This record gives sequence, C-alpha cells and structure tokens, in this order.
Amino acid sequence: MPGESPGPEQERQLEAAGLPHPAGRALRILGMMAAETARTADSEVARLLAACARQDRPAFQELYRRTSPYLLACLLRMLRSRALAEDALQDAFVQVWAQADRYDGNRGSAWAWMISIARYRAIDLRRRESRVRTEPYADVDEIPGEEESQDALAALGRRATRALAGCLEALQPRQRQCIVLAYQGGLSHAEVAGEINEPLGSVKSWIRRGLTALKRCLES
Amino acid sequence: MKRDEPGNLDLLAAEYALGTLRGLARRAFARRMKRDPFVDRRVAAWEERFALLALRLKPVAPSPAVWTALEGRIGTPVRRSWRGLAAAAALVAVIGLGWYVWQGLRPPAAPQAYAVFADASRTDLWRVALDAKGERLAVDALVPVSVPDARSRELWALPDGGSPVSLGLMPATGSIEIALDEDQRAALAAAKNVAVSDEPAGGSPTGAPTGDILFIAAIVRT
Repeated sequence: MPGESPGPEQERQLEAAGLPHPAGRALRILGMMAAETARTADSEVARLLAACARQDRPAFQELYRRTSPYLLACLLRMLRSRALAEDALQDAFVQVWAQADRYDGNRGSAWAWMISIARYRAIDLRRRESRVRTEPYADVDEIPGEEESQDALAALGRRATRALAGCLEALQPRQRQCIVLAYQGGLSHAEVAGEINEPLGSVKSWIRRGLTALKRCLES
Repeated sequence: MKRDEPGNLDLLAAEYALGTLRGLARRAFARRMKRDPFVDRRVAAWEERFALLALRLKPVAPSPAVWTALEGRIGTPVRRSWRGLAAAAALVAVIGLGWYVWQGLRPPAAPQAYAVFADASRTDLWRVALDAKGERLAVDALVPVSVPDARSRELWALPDGGSPVSLGLMPATGSIEIALDEDQRAALAAAKNVAVSDEPAGGSPTGAPTGDILFIAAIVRT
C-alpha cells in the first residue's frame, strides 16, 4: 500500500530481487550504529583530530574508540602477534595525540594519516624484532582478513581511493598479489618472495611494474 | 645534483608508502620528504591510494588494557612546545625526580642534565647524565643490553638545526664516563634530544650515524 513501510515478507522479496526498499537506508544506518562496525567517515576523523590538536581528551578517546579496531587489524596483520600489535597500537596513538596538530587536510585524508603512522611504526618494529619474522604466518589465527567493505570506500571517499579499487583489479594477478602482500603484511621484497616462493628478482619487478601500471591506470 | 626523473621519484614514493623501500634508502628518502614538500606530496598521494587496502581489513577490538595504558601515557598535561616528546618527557621527568632525590643523598654535585633511554616496552635501558660542570658524561646501563656481535651502540647529541654529533659508545652493561670535547659540549648545549644508533663494532666509521636510530630520549635540564 502506498505510504506504508513494507512488511517483513515484502522486505525479503525486495531484497531477494536486489531492489532497495523505502526503509532500507534507515535500517542499514541503525544496524551500523548498533554493531559499531561501520568505518567512521573521514570528515569525522578529521574533526576529532583537530580537537585532539587542542588537547581535547574526550575527543581523543572518541577517536580511539572509532579508529583503533581498524589500526589494530593492520598491525596484527603486520606483526602477527597481539602483544606486539597492541604495543605498536599504543605507540601509534601516543604519536597521534602528540602530532595531531601536524595533520594537514590538504595533504590527504585523516584515515590515511593515522594508518600511515601505525604502518610505519610496524615496519620499524618488524625490522628490529626478530620475533616477528620467526612467527609462521599461518600459526596466528587472529590475523584479520579482508571483508566486504563498501563502507571502507565510503569512509575514505576520496577520488584516489575509489580509483584504486578498480585499478588494482586491472593488474596482472602476480603484480596485485605482491603489492597487496607487501602492503598488508608489511613485507620486504625478500619476505614477499619467501611468502609466495618466487625468486626475489621476479618479485621486485612485479612490484615495480605493478606500481607503474597502477599509476598509469590511476592517472588515466 | 642530478635531478630525478619524475617517474622514478614517484616509484620511490610508492615503494616508501608500500613499505618495500628499506634500510638506508628508506631513511634517505624520509629525510628528503622532510626537506622537500613536493616529495612529501607524492608519498601522501600513495598513502591515500593504499589506505583502502588497510581499511578493508576486518576490525579487531583492542583489549581494554591498551586504552588504560594510553591514558597513562598522555596523562600529564604538557606545554605545547613539548608535545612531540610529551610521553617521553613525562616518563623521564618521573624517573629523573627519583634519581635526583637519590643523587642528592650522595656527595657528588647533581648533574645539570640527564636523559633516560627506554625500549619499546618501556624498560629503561641507559641513563646518561652530564656533570655539574658540563664536562663529563656518566652513562649507566640500567639493565644488561643485548647488542649483536660485531655491532656497537653509539650515542649522539642531536643539536637543533645541526647534524648529530657522536658522544661515544654505549656500554652493554655497567657504567662508563666520557670526557667531552668542545664540539661535543656545544652540540649537547644546543640539543633537546640524544639518540642511540646501531653501528659497526667500534662505532660509525663516517662520523655520522650510519645505522638505524634505535632510541631517542629527551634531555632534562635540572
């Protein structure tokens, strides 16, 4: 009936047919809030960072609440140990708090700024901690995988990000695999080579060619 | 200096952001980013592109202990100029106060400045103290520090606006004293921080740090 929300049965039918229904948007938003799994929009992360730059502690806590599960996922993937990853997470947030006034919205998104702080910290740690390298990849069942992530795209929302998704898909499989492994695992060329059991020289050139192709694709 | 081709520079920026640029090349590139906003922008563009790969990972909730520890580390309100060093300085101040009191019970004059190096798990490794006259450094290893064979740990003053100046090698255990020359004293006087780098046995052959900077500590002037 016009003007009324669809009942549960109609909803299922609409969903099965892949069609949006009137209440769909509201339901999705409510669902996100309840589960708190949605990635916070970058403008909100930037606003919280600006508040941190003014030494606003409640804002820092809110920033931590919203972003730490995502940074921890990155760090776990790179450091392969919860203890190390949580240490790195702590260090990363100390740095975020201390340097929040250096974040510049013209340079890039707030998410990317925070992710870089965490990742570079982990790359540093990986180099220093022999513990990390001896940990077999498969032995840590906590290592997060990728998930269906329309909201990752939506949260970042920048042109550069949206283009990447398509351009990554367009790469040759080996090139894409090496780049994703290196990025998400924080692996060096040699470590990528070990991981996929291919010669170092091939890995280096796949990464180089993959990056060149990505750049060409992104700029086209 | 030969100018890089833009394509090559962009590839370096990509490998920096990706994390596959390592070792000396990575550190040299990081210095270049600091100097050259154009280079920094190239890296920022790649960080932006790759961020999606990070944000696509399934989130994992940190244990509550992380926030508790974090609150402790940002706990003390600090002056703006110290923001970058807030956590380190707060830690050093607390340790320093205890040490100062303890030192006060002993006959030698209190140091005019000191710094404490701690590792990533916040275990204190070395204390470095400058004597009242500013002529000698006392370096104490607070725990036995493991140093790989054929490597040394070298101490540097990081003067504002100048290059690092070597102050000597760090002991793996026990205490040593270092008599400072004019240059070292001047560098320390102009420094807010000291650092420890990883060097070949016997120290840097070039007079500048050649290996990784492993630790940085704020200098506390008493």
